[in-house]
Amino acid sequence: MQVVVLLAGVVDPKWRLDRLGLRPGTELADESGLPRRLSPFDEAALETALKLRDADPAVRVTAVLPGDVGSDALLRGVAAFRPDRAFRFDTSGLAPWDPRAAVRLLGLAVGAACGCPDLVLMGREFGDCDDGVLPAALAEAQGWRFCGLAHAVAIADGRFVAHRIRGPREELLRLPPPALVSITNDRGNRLRHPLMKNVMLAKRGPVEVVTPQAGAIPRAVVARSLAVVPPPQRGAGACRILSGPVDAQVAELAAYLRARRQAAAP
Amino acid sequence: MMRRIVAVVLLGEPALTDPFGAVAAAAELAGSGRAEAILLARPEDAEAAAAQAAREGAAEITLVTDSGLSDPPQPEHWLELLAGLLAEDARGMLLLLPGGAVGEELAARLTMRLDAVPLGRCGRIVEDGARLIAHRAAYGGRAELVLETGAPRCIATMRRPAAPPKPAADPVIRRADLAIPFAADAPRPEVLPAAADRPKRVDAARIVVSGGRGMGGPEGFALLRELADMLGAATGASLPAVDAGWASVSQQVGQSGAFVAPDLYLAVGMSGTPQHLAGIAPHSRIAAINSDPEADIFRVAEVGLLAPWQEVLPRLIATLRDG
Ligand SMILES: Cc1cc2nc3c(=O)[nH]c(=O)nc-3n(C[C@H](O)[C@H](O)[C@H](O)COP(=O)(O)OP(=O)(O)OC[C@H]3O[C@@H](n4cnc5c(N)ncnc54)[C@H](O)[C@@H]3O)c2cc1C
Ligand SMILES: Nc1ncnc2c1ncn2[C@@H]1O[C@H](COP(=O)(O)O)[C@@H](O)[C@H]1O
Repeated sequence: MQVVVLLAGVVDPKWRLDRLGLRPGTELADESGLPRRLSPFDEAALETALKLRDADPAVRVTAVLPGDVGSDALLRGVAAFRPDRAFRFDTSGLAPWDPRAAVRLLGLAVGAACGCPDLVLMGREFGDCDDGVLPAALAEAQGWRFCGLAHAVAIADGRFVAHRIRGPREELLRLPPPALVSITNDRGNRLRHPLMKNVMLAKRGPVEVVTPQAGAIPRAVVARSLAVVPPPQRGAGACRILSGPVDAQVAELAAYLRARRQAAAP
Repeated sequence: MMRRIVAVVLLGEPALTDPFGAVAAAAELAGSGRAEAILLARPEDAEAAAAQAAREGAAEITLVTDSGLSDPPQPEHWLELLAGLLAEDARGMLLLLPGGAVGEELAARLTMRLDAVPLGRCGRIVEDGARLIAHRAAYGGRAELVLETGAPRCIATMRRPAAPPKPAADPVIRRADLAIPFAADAPRPEVLPAAADRPKRVDAARIVVSGGRGMGGPEGFALLRELADMLGAATGASLPAVDAGWASVSQQVGQSGAFVAPDLYLAVGMSGTPQHLAGIAPHSRIAAINSDPEADIFRVAEVGLLAPWQEVLPRLIATLRDG
């Protein structure tokens, strides 16, 4: 059973973004000096893959991280979890803005991992510039079955059983291979900690890089600009911080909540 | 030739709380008299929905009924219907689907079926002759990305704009009754029975009481639920609180979770990150309880109580119980 997990990485969300833009004369985002880490959804997808292998030793996990040389440290971090194979799919110089081109590239990345995957796992959003288009579009482009926003996946009778909550309903979807499932974070798929021994091994070991034989990928979307924006203004602007003894503050908040409850009543 | 601006309405889709939001967005984008709406519905739901689409500003309405749609409809069936309806149409268009998980998945998948360009979750789209300029949040809402395309067919998702829509006075209404064969081998979800203690749906609530990493454990969340019950509110959570298992994935609010538009959002033990605030409608009032005077949540709140929740929640619940 071949399981491929595609990992994107994000700029560390705890890091202040002061400056971000396109490199002059190009369409490439300049992220220099900004540390990268796995997104919570990359982590959830990786953990889901590792859990499938824990449950069935016949599962072979290949982790693929598209990116340039700036992603190698992240790849070593992934290798510390001991997937059967981990490689960086080199995307140096390619701008990620055209989703159709990105889908082509991701298809090639999966192809470099194995000829016919049984299951492809991705986070619900693939990196900092995707809002969930890429997993669904990749599945459709490849003709794979798709389940979006699952929080758990198991294998039963040769099918992938994906668990998800959609609107008011909790659902199980049974998908025959080949399938692509996008994963959302949950307590059940928090990424385990790697063994220190494996972290050290991965730090010293070589990084496998696969360079795509892509040719020219046609593009229909270009980036005009990328810029840091201040958080949108909300409310009146100034926050009224309650003061006085705690009991008085609580009484004031209670009065405020009562008034809002009244206003919200149908 | 200007492209068509067409919004899609998925009637009877249980995951949607604002099925007509994209119609209002299309009407605003297209200007008066030009927005179109495609309504997909079971026959019995269709007529009332046409009137609603006109109120939301659709000047041309196509009512597509398919008596084979199940209740609730399968996403695969929505996809087949839309692909069947639009595949032969060679005109340039911008198709808008409603925000949220179902609209976003359909939009992405449909682009591959229709050889269209997916623009994702757009905050604003502007026409520049035959080209489209799309504004989108990136890097967790901390940056804005402006994309440009001349592709004749584009698909995006948009939420309802802030300004109320101008109703269309005299909409043209067309009807099409389809029976799209819905692939028998398409996987149908098995719906699990609802648990008795299932949390109240957060995206439809008028008041949301929400907890973050600062709750520190399940005990704090139990108090939040008690408070929520007293206020007729739903309980929400930030991503770390969901990861910790204090709340269910269905309660996660944010860029990657539910989009909520309550009258009041009470944020307890959460710092107010852009990823979290992206899931709260701009018009919602925010009140915050946090022990850190520097917490960003106080920059967006209307009322703030600066103290650990342990000192506040038990007293607050007692005070509200007393009257
Ligand atoms: C791709 C991506 C997508 C994401 N999507 C989402 C999303 O959809 N939703 C989301 O929420 N997050 C999301 N995140 C995570 C986001 O970056 C933050 O990590 C998260 O929002 C922080 O949650 P928090 O405010 O609960 O925790 P923190 O930022 O850790 O804040 C905890 C707060 O609790 C306060 N506190 C501590 N103790 C107490 C006490 N006793 N009483 C009162 N206050 C106390 C602290 O002062 C602090 O302000 C995403 C991240 C990434 C990378
Ligand atoms: N900034 C963050 N954004 C999203 N998730 C995070 C973040 N920091 C930590 N996490 C999640 O919380 C878990 C514990 O992280 P930490 O408390 O930073 O060691 C990780 O496994 C992540 O899934």
